[in-house]
Amino acid sequence: MSTTAIIFMAVSWLFVLALTFWSFKRVLGSQKHFDPDGIGPAQPPVKGRTES
Amino acid sequence: MSQSASNPNEAWGSRIGLILAMAGNAVGLGNFLRFPSQAANNGGGTFMIAYFTALLLLGIPLMWIEWGVGRNGGRFRKGHVPGMFAALWKHPAAKYLGAMGLVVPLIVLIYYTYIESWTLAFTFFSITKDYWGHDTQQSMVQYLQSFQSIGDSSVHGIWKPFLFFFITLFLNFWIVSKGISGGIEKLAKIGMPVLFIFALILAIVVLALPAGPDGSTAAQGLQFIYQPDFSKLGQPGVWLAAAGQIFFTLSVGMGTLQAYASYLSTKDDIVLSGVATAATNETAEVVLGGSIAIPAAVVFFGVTGLTQIASSGSFNIGFATMPVVFQNLPFGNLLGFMWFGLLFFAGITSSVAMATPIIAFFREEFGWRREPVTWGLGAVVLAFGLLNIIWFRYGMLDEWDYWGGTFGLALFATIEVVLFMWVFKPEKAWHSMHQGADMRIPPIYKFIMTYVTPAYLFVILGWWAWQDAWPILTLERMAGGGPVIPEHVFYVHASRAIMLAFVVGFLLLIRMAWKRNGYDDRKGFVEVEDTPAGALPDEQARVAQPV
Repeated sequence: MSTTAIIFMAVSWLFVLALTFWSFKRVLGSQKHFDPDGIGPAQPPVKGRTES
Repeated sequence: MSQSASNPNEAWGSRIGLILAMAGNAVGLGNFLRFPSQAANNGGGTFMIAYFTALLLLGIPLMWIEWGVGRNGGRFRKGHVPGMFAALWKHPAAKYLGAMGLVVPLIVLIYYTYIESWTLAFTFFSITKDYWGHDTQQSMVQYLQSFQSIGDSSVHGIWKPFLFFFITLFLNFWIVSKGISGGIEKLAKIGMPVLFIFALILAIVVLALPAGPDGSTAAQGLQFIYQPDFSKLGQPGVWLAAAGQIFFTLSVGMGTLQAYASYLSTKDDIVLSGVATAATNETAEVVLGGSIAIPAAVVFFGVTGLTQIASSGSFNIGFATMPVVFQNLPFGNLLGFMWFGLLFFAGITSSVAMATPIIAFFREEFGWRREPVTWGLGAVVLAFGLLNIIWFRYGMLDEWDYWGGTFGLALFATIEVVLFMWVFKPEKAWHSMHQGADMRIPPIYKFIMTYVTPAYLFVILGWWAWQDAWPILTLERMAGGGPVIPEHVFYVHASRAIMLAFVVGFLLLIRMAWKRNGYDDRKGFVEVEDTPAGALPDEQARVAQPV
């Protein structure tokens, strides 16, 4: 493979992989209140607390 | 993920499930067959400059716009494009323009499930080594054509294409009948990881192949795709080809992304999810799609041989060249199973999406239950799918693919962008997209989405109209390329008449639905975002209250 082809391939791969990892890292990092059926509590449970 | 306003009894089960379903909709056969051919034929590495420019200025903005249009429609419990357009533009014409969002997915769904059935059939043919012995390109093309065309029973019995079409159709509509979370999301959660694993294994196997009979290597295949030809950077055709590839690969202009997004509420993010969806599709296309078919074909046929094969169509690379390659590899039947299996998963995750807006229309506007609507649509797809099989040799599929799956998409997307960014107004569109967002869209994109993306679309549409649509419409040449064959002309006209009948049929159904539900076009729909969960039973969950 020529150097220019390697550069173009590497940059293309790097761009899409970086975009994928960055977006999924943010998606997985920002877990919002999950309420698929819409009948759950208005707020997510707070970690480390129990109902009195 | 919050309760859907589009239908209180339907919602995505998880955000990852939603992104995988959206990406599954986008990842299709084109990622693995069309992309590498386009790159190689349009300047290699320099094509990627135009390709990524189009991704940033056309693809990602369109992704956000389609998610925004869909989620906005969901606020008014509209999971179909006529309702979404009527929610954007309080004008009687809006709902009729939205008919494209029903006609286009129906046309594409019909012929796409037929193509999908080829991948299922070849998965079976691979594992059973049915094509073993057809070890030349010419022999495999004959094997493929005998399967595709019922007039040629030299290799396959006449019943085979019908059998695999029935199975494919049943699988599609069985999944769709299970609903958003129970069917489509489950399929995406299984199908997408399987697709990526199969693709990764195949890419590793191909890139590790030793030099072929004439000394060609997989690296030469990669060079064939990525070697830059800077003289082509100034050619408009290269930029249009790149924009067209981005347009097709992201499955925009079809009404499917919008239908999926309508099951989200304004509390849910669509900005980051839209980027994640586009990025997943691009990884499948650029990293995996470019590393399998072309490098494998170069090893066995050399660059010269591949150029000849590529000129005969990208389907021939996938369905004729690859089987020849597999016959020369250890565990070739397993590798063939994985190749066609990944194409099948890429296809089915897209085709189930195409059914969604049509089903939503009948459920929401006519109050029909999911199962009867789904199987009723299945019957329509079956009837016209059979016609596609019988008339395949007369160019019906090419005709539908051009008007429905190429020109129709560009026309629909152009209308949609104009409605969302110009009629609905940029400020409202910007605000709408940012509701519940996990990230801010870079401010420059407000300008891009308002002016650059529409301009891109107008140029693409104009170019295609001038280059292709007019010559095809006037029968200067066939939609599939090549000169017009006189005995095919009747079937071309009949194919067009059926598409026209779909347009008229949906226009009448939209008119009927609006009258039935007493909608006032000038006042719009009532927002149902805050409807208490479970307040409406499934059968009544269809309509926004008439104003």
